[in-house]
Parts: sequence; structure tokens; C-alpha cells
Amino acid sequence: MSNKKLIQLSSFFLKLKSQPMTAVLFLCASFSIIILFLMLFFVAQEGAYAFTQFGSDLLFGMRWDLESNIFGGLPLLFGSLMVTFGALIIAIPIGVSTSIFVSEVLPFYLRDPIKSIIELLASIPSVLYGFIGLLVVVPFIQDVFGLPSGQTALTASAILSIMTIPTIVSVSGEIISAVPKNYKEAALGLGATKWETIKSVVLPISKSGILASIMLGFGRAVGETIAVSMVSGNQAHIASSYFEAIYTIPSFIATHMGEAAVGSTEYSALFGLGLILLIITFIVNTLADVVVKRGVHQ
Amino acid sequence: MVICILAFLWIITTILTGIGTFNAELLTTSALQGGYFEMIVGTIYLFLGAAAIAGPIGVFAAIYLVEYAPSGKITRIIDQAINNLAGVPSIIIGLFGYTLFSRQLGFDISLLSGWLTLSIMILPIVIRGSEEAIRIVPKAFKEAALGLGATKWKAISLTTLIAAAPGIVTSVILGIARVAGETAAILFTSSVIMTRGTPSSPLEPVMALSFNMYVKIVARGEGPESVFDIALILFLIVVTFSLVAIILRIYYRRKQPWLS
Amino acid sequence: MTYADKIDIRKLNIWFGEKHVIRGVDLKIKANAVTAIMGPSGCGKSTMLRAFNRMNDVIKSCKTTGDVFIGGKNVYQKNTNVYDLRRQVGMVFQKPNPLPKSIYENVAFGPKIHKMAKGKSLDAIVEKSLRSAALWEEVHDRLNDSAFDLSGGQQQRLCIARALAVNPEVILMDEPCSALDPAATAKIEQLIRILSSDYTVVIVTHNMQQASRVSDYTVFLYLGKIIERGETKGIFENPQHELTEEYITGQFG
Repeated sequence: MSNKKLIQLSSFFLKLKSQPMTAVLFLCASFSIIILFLMLFFVAQEGAYAFTQFGSDLLFGMRWDLESNIFGGLPLLFGSLMVTFGALIIAIPIGVSTSIFVSEVLPFYLRDPIKSIIELLASIPSVLYGFIGLLVVVPFIQDVFGLPSGQTALTASAILSIMTIPTIVSVSGEIISAVPKNYKEAALGLGATKWETIKSVVLPISKSGILASIMLGFGRAVGETIAVSMVSGNQAHIASSYFEAIYTIPSFIATHMGEAAVGSTEYSALFGLGLILLIITFIVNTLADVVVKRGVHQ
Repeated sequence: MVICILAFLWIITTILTGIGTFNAELLTTSALQGGYFEMIVGTIYLFLGAAAIAGPIGVFAAIYLVEYAPSGKITRIIDQAINNLAGVPSIIIGLFGYTLFSRQLGFDISLLSGWLTLSIMILPIVIRGSEEAIRIVPKAFKEAALGLGATKWKAISLTTLIAAAPGIVTSVILGIARVAGETAAILFTSSVIMTRGTPSSPLEPVMALSFNMYVKIVARGEGPESVFDIALILFLIVVTFSLVAIILRIYYRRKQPWLS
Repeated sequence: MTYADKIDIRKLNIWFGEKHVIRGVDLKIKANAVTAIMGPSGCGKSTMLRAFNRMNDVIKSCKTTGDVFIGGKNVYQKNTNVYDLRRQVGMVFQKPNPLPKSIYENVAFGPKIHKMAKGKSLDAIVEKSLRSAALWEEVHDRLNDSAFDLSGGQQQRLCIARALAVNPEVILMDEPCSALDPAATAKIEQLIRILSSDYTVVIVTHNMQQASRVSDYTVFLYLGKIIERGETKGIFENPQHELTEEYITGQFG
């Protein structure tokens, strides 16, 4: 660290020492970083053993077999990607078009109520989504497609998409609403229609924000545990179609943690999977932040 | 868009058909007799405690970020950390809570572990909401207090903070709505399928609506119909809190004459 | 009649980042009189005013050198209690800024945080301050109403009452009437004249007529330097400096 930075840092901390209230406030603000670090540390610590035993096979190995002490997570990774991809295919078009609709097309007096409804949707807990999925969607898919069980990757994707849409809508909605009025007026003043304005002004400016909202949606979808585990059928294998049951990484962790003996290899392997999930989440969230900041600077 | 509305309506009708079987007496009956009392109390205990922890810390953090933080690297890192924390999957938070609170600190499966774990989930919501509430308070109030000789903290706590209070309360309520139905985070940290009565100390495990629902379906393979009542209660709790937050927000927006 | 000097400013220099806003000002301000600081917008008048109660400390990019003696004590000395200074040297801001509280609580705020009074004696202070600010008659029956229910002019008089409540010796006013209508302005100018018999008043204004109506002494500040100073009558009837004359006759502003 350069001398200048050292001086800056030490004067920062000296100032804290002389004003106790400021120090308390700073401590509270730092809790977020502290918790994040601790989380990374503890999860990595518990998972370390599994990584030393299996290395990258933990994620890419083909079988997860308790009796033979082999822990390979590829089916789980596959399941997660299938379901997330399926969810995003549905959620992105619906989410982005909804956010454009709400921020640009809807008359003013309807905007806040609709936004509140979307907020309400976002606050419904995962377990209730799973419940409705089991109650309504699973039988539906079972009947419509003539399957032995309605608990499939398709079902999980459907439920997950509904859960991801509010994230995409609220984040991109904020970005779209923030497009300065005078840019839109430039297009309108030249005779452009509302849709032409949206296409030529609003969307290009909001591009990075919308991308960020999709990334955040991805992060949300990949980490979703409860609802998915209730409707996906929970079979760890590499599925050949969306009509089969699959297992995602978080669902697997949730259902197997209970039985895994503390300190056993399986226990460590589960934490290893958790670490991978955590790192994926970090990368996605940080990237989303970067994308937004870069977009703002344009 | 039309498809969504149709699907929504169909879900509602399916739910409404099941409501007829609801027996309100079960709300106050103990689980030992097939009632839901301990689950409801457990859920309430959990989110109240978590809010009590995350509330003050979150508000203080927000005050720091808006009023005290120098615009530099440390502040940017804290900001990004809050965003990242908000995006961590709840199962990982549950794993972390289990490792740190239940095992390392020895709290085992208890209300306390649940409080600490759930507060991590509420924290980013309170910080972000409080930040916004504090930011829109006109600086003139703080300046007036400073001009009268108040210290920085007094000026902020006696003017800005009080003006931002409604927004802060709203964000805490939203945080509660978020964790009231949380399952993954309490899976290994605080809840069990059955307890003898409600917990008499925070070190005891606790029942919860969400946990009960989940375990019955996934671990015991029961169908959704068997937990219909529990789902309904949970739904009502979450929706009530969310609606209260939204209404509060609208009400106080009207009541603040300095918001031109 | 000679008055003692209440404020003695020596070699005051203020920078905002790289910008040198106040350039080497030496100034003496007489006690129990109204001194107006006038000049075109942006020449540093408000900045200099805020140096007297060290409100500039709140701004991070602001650097101040020099000394400001108030009542014989240098307020830029290391061990100065800034919070007590601001009690002694009150400030009324450009845009009325009542606190989001009741009328009573606004006036009581200062005495409360400085622990000056409680209960009945606090009530007495509130009444006295409101009377001194010529507001008592209009609000005495609705002290618990929100301060925002008052008109602009009333709000500003409330801010004056609030500043008076902590027993200051000096009152600084930063263009106190610029956000008010002529009727409200007239009331406050009247109030300023009355206040000067008990307090030292320094008022910043870009309104020349106001300066000539309200003040005993005037200081003409231009681009951070004092161009001319003296008794108000003298400055307006017989300006010594060319720039002063040009400013007074409206050739720039």
C-alpha cells in the first residue's frame, strides 16, 4: 500500500476514535462486509475437506453416491442450469416488456398500484410458491402432458419464472423510469410515436440496467431452494428432457443436510456445493453492479 | 399479459374452493392436538426477534452511509457488500447460520440461532429502505439544528431521523414480510417439527409455519392438501405485513409537507 | 456615539477546493448595530458570514485561515467549543427552515439541546422569543400546530424567534427576505431595526435598497475583497471607490 493511502486510512481511523458515535455508526455499516467475509470463511472451511478429496470432481463428477463415498455434482449443476435457463426464457420477455409497459405506457394513476401489486408478488415466500405449484401447476402439467408425475424440470422452470419476474420488473423498471425526460422529448418533438421513442431512446439508454436486472434475476433463480425442491421431483440425473424430474444444487443441499453426519465427507461435500453456489452468486451480483455503473457513465 | 391474468384468476379460484374447510379454532389449539398455535407463535417470535436485531443495526448503518460516509473506496465496498448480501441464496445463509450460531457459538437449534440468521436477511432491506427515507429529508432541517449549536449526531437524530421515521418503519415491516415465510434459513438453525408448547427461552427450538409446511411435504411426502390451512395462515400474515407497509408508505407521503 | 467592536476579523482567507473565495479580509463589526454586507451574487458574502459561526466547517472542501474575534475571543482557536459558539452567534437562513415540529417545539429546540431550561421557564423563554420576533400575537393560541402551517414570512420570524431563544449576542442573517413577499419583508426589516438595540446584527443582502433601509454600517464586498466600508449613509450618498459607485448605480450586480 502506498504511503499516501496509508496516511489516508490512518487519519480515517483516527477520526473515528475521537468521535465515538461515528465509530458506532461505522461499525454497523461494516457489519455487511463482516458478515459476508464470515460467510465465505465458514462455508469454505467446512467445504475444504471435500475439495481436497475430490477437487473439481465435486462439481463435475457424474455420480453422488453416499455408500461408495463418491460425491460428484454434475447432475445437480445440470439440473440447476436447466431450470434457471427455462425460467429465464419465460421471465425475461415477460419481465422486460412488463417493466416497459408499467414505466412508459401505463397511465400515471395506475403506475403505483401496479407497482405495489408486483411488490406484493415479490414478497410471497418461496414455500407458498411451492405450495401453489404443487396444488395447481403439478396436476396441470401431469394432465396436459400425460406424465406419470407432474414434478418436472418444466414445472420448476414455470414456478421459478413467476418468482423471477418481479425482480426483473422492479430493477429494470427503476432504470427505465430514470431516463431523462428531455431525451424522450427530443424524439417526440421530431414526430416519433410512443413506441418509436421507446425503441430508439428509452431502450438503448436503459440497456445496461435491463441487463443488470436479468443478471440479478439469474442470481435469484439459481439460488432458489424451497419452491424448486417442492416441484422438481428431486431426481439427481442428467435429464434428457424438461418433462423429467431433476435436482438443483440448492434443493439438494436443503434435503440432504438433515441426514448428513456433522464432520462427515458428505457434510463437507454439501458445504462444498454451497461454496460454489455462493461464489456464483457473488460473481453475478458484482458483475450486475459493474454493468449498472458502466451504464451510468455513458 | 392476458394469459398471466387468466392463470392468476384460476389459481385464486382453486384456493378459494379450499378455504371452506378452514377451522378457525385450530389457530389456538396446540399442535399436539392438531392445531397451529405453536407454529403461529413460533413464526411471530422468529420475525420479531430478527427485526429487533436488524432494525437498529440497519438504521445506524443507513445513517452512516448517507450522512457520515466519505466518498471513497471503503464506502463503495460497503455499498457493494450490502448488494451482495441481499443476493445470497437463503440456503447459504442457513448453512452459515448453522455453522456459526448453532455449532461454533453453541446455540444449537434454537430461537436465538433463528433470530441471528434471519436478521442477516432483513439487514439489507432495512439499510436500503432507511437510506432512501433519510436521503429525501431536506438538509435544511439538519442545518437549522447545526446553526443552533447542536452536534452532528444530535442534529441528525433530532431532526432528520425523526422525519425519516415513517420510511424506516416501512422498511422494517417489509423486512418482516420477507422473513415471516422464510424456510431455508431456519431449516437447520431454529426449527423442528414438533415442540412441547411454546419455547420458554431463546435457546429452545421453535416451530414455524413455513418449516412445518415444507417438512410435511418434502420429508414426509404428504400432499399439499394436508397443509392447506397452514399455507393460508402464512399467506395472510405475509400479505398483511406487505399491505401495511405499502399503505404506510402512501399515508406518510401525503403527510409530509416538505416533500414538494 | 462610538460602539465597541463586537466582531474583529483579521486576515480572513477562505478557499473552496482550489477557488480562493475570501481574499485577506480585515473587518471590524460594531456591537448593537446592524451591519450590512452587500455585493453582487457569488462574491462570497454568505461564505464570509458562515465563517463567523463556523458553519463552513460542515463543508468538506472548505479551508479557512485567519482569525475571527467575537467578544474578544478568537473563534478559530483550537480549543473553541463550536457548539457553544453557534449558540452565541445565531443564524437565520435564506430560505425559512423551520424544523418539522410544532411552533412551540421549534423555539424550544435550542434551549433544550443546550439544557438551558425546562418546564415553566422553558415556556417563558418561548413566549419571550416569539414576542421579540413579533410573532407571539399571531401564534400564541396555536403553539402546537405544525410550523409548516405558517406563511413564509411567519416561518422566517419563527426562525428568528428560534435563534433568539438561546440568548445569542450576535445574529447573522443570510439574505433573510429573498424568499419573501414585500409585505413580509417590510415586517422583518422593521424587526431587524428593533433587534439591533439588544443584539449585534450582520445581514447579508444583494438588495441595495434593503441595505440602505435597514443598516447602520455597510460593507461592500466584491470578488472576495472589501472594496469599501463605513456608515451606511455615507456609502450610499458619497461612495469613495469607483466600483462602489458603479454597483450602487446599478451598472453591474
